[in-house]
Amino acid sequence: MTRSPVKVLYIDDEENNLLAFKASFRRQYEIYTANSAAEGLKVLENLPVEVIIADQKMPHMTGVEFFKSITDTYPDPVRILLTGYTDISALADAINHGDIYRYITKPWNDLELHNSIKNAHEAYRSKIDLRNKVRELEKTNDELNRFIYSISHELRAPLVSVIGIVNLVKMEGLYHSSGEYWELIESCSNKLDYYIQKTLQYYKNNKNTSDKSEINFKKLVDEIIDLYSYTDRDTQFNLHINQPNPFVGDAFRLEVILGNLISNAIKYQKDTEEHKIVDITIDVNPFSAEIAITDNGLGILNEHLEKIFTQFFKTKNNKGSGLGLFIVKEALNKMNGKISVKSSLNQGTTFKITIPNAN
Amino acid sequence: MLIDDNIIDLKINSKIILISKLFDEIIQCQSGEEALNYFTMNSGQLNKLPNLILLDIQMPEMDGFEFLDNYKQMPAEWKANCLVAMLSSTLDFGDIRKAEANSYVLKLLKKPLIPAELAAIFNANFNITG
Repeated sequence: MTRSPVKVLYIDDEENNLLAFKASFRRQYEIYTANSAAEGLKVLENLPVEVIIADQKMPHMTGVEFFKSITDTYPDPVRILLTGYTDISALADAINHGDIYRYITKPWNDLELHNSIKNAHEAYRSKIDLRNKVRELEKTNDELNRFIYSISHELRAPLVSVIGIVNLVKMEGLYHSSGEYWELIESCSNKLDYYIQKTLQYYKNNKNTSDKSEINFKKLVDEIIDLYSYTDRDTQFNLHINQPNPFVGDAFRLEVILGNLISNAIKYQKDTEEHKIVDITIDVNPFSAEIAITDNGLGILNEHLEKIFTQFFKTKNNKGSGLGLFIVKEALNKMNGKISVKSSLNQGTTFKITIPNAN
Repeated sequence: MLIDDNIIDLKINSKIILISKLFDEIIQCQSGEEALNYFTMNSGQLNKLPNLILLDIQMPEMDGFEFLDNYKQMPAEWKANCLVAMLSSTLDFGDIRKAEANSYVLKLLKKPLIPAELAAIFNANFNITG
């Protein structure tokens, strides 16, 4: 890749130095010179200079003063200060306030100055590259957000229509009219809807914005149980919610976490179990919420326990997407929460969660 | 009254409402503008105005929230006899919050429309006159 030569601006009130600089470096760089700070500023106004070298000792305005004056207006060019005498206070001032990259004593050594300009230019490039990358990422992020929005509308709307038609078929008593075809359509549609919802949950969780709202655990848990238990009326819920203190946290993430865990507790029951039970214990203190969700369902094989939080982990007879617990874990990570699990096969599973109180 | 740009959803939801037997007549509108026209044309006859509007959110040109802005301007007498619930497949927080925050919206119903949820709204708001 060929790049246009580095644009260097050299400001010095001594004409001889300007000439000597030009003579030494004109082959390597595109050089602009100015004999005062004011002249230098004029060059800056007209050209995208990448490296500025300024002499410290100049009438009207010193090199450091010049650098200080352009910190806000021209923050990008990398600065090199050149000075004939060692003045500690000027040096300290330059480093502290002038955003100086290098400090070089006069008379300069050509090789040293050349290396400094080269390094300075690299520093300039990486600064600009980083900014472009950030801009690109912001754009991608923006597009992703719009994509999420369009998934939630365009992709889901027709699917929901299909589910609506299946409901109508049921209401009109036609559900069993064509063998099991309607049932199959329904189960496929529900599965697709479930995937869309989980994908959205995942991306929404991924966004770093977190909201802080006051959480009423009793209300939240009641709503979630209402939402998930309509498919299964047999499960008995025992709630022990002890919330003497207010709890502040991210409402969406909490809903995702509790929603996934509670729906799992309902989903992975034993068909043969007569007393399906889910115990939910929540203790809120000023520092955290301690949540335990226990079921007497199928349980999880010991060798699977470590993997259940990984993306797309599924067991042979598992009806899930392999996303639920992964999303729970991700959401907890964003909230600095912790989760642990204990399970014995055919006895049941307990998930324990600790979430810091942002109050 | 159903307001939805999607003809299939209009069909499905009319059928669901019909089967629910909660309402006697269903007016279908494919856009907010069409609904507003209906109101202007029947402005003299209160009995021609719907008792409940089920309003979609995502529609081209006038979306559900813009329709609500127009609804707000209607005479109080109309509004008292014609309540609004939103009906959408949205999962977007912005939409959900906006719908919940709007004082004219009884409830945000999720598609597909469940007869039980419609009945709940019906019983909470119309149980005296029927």
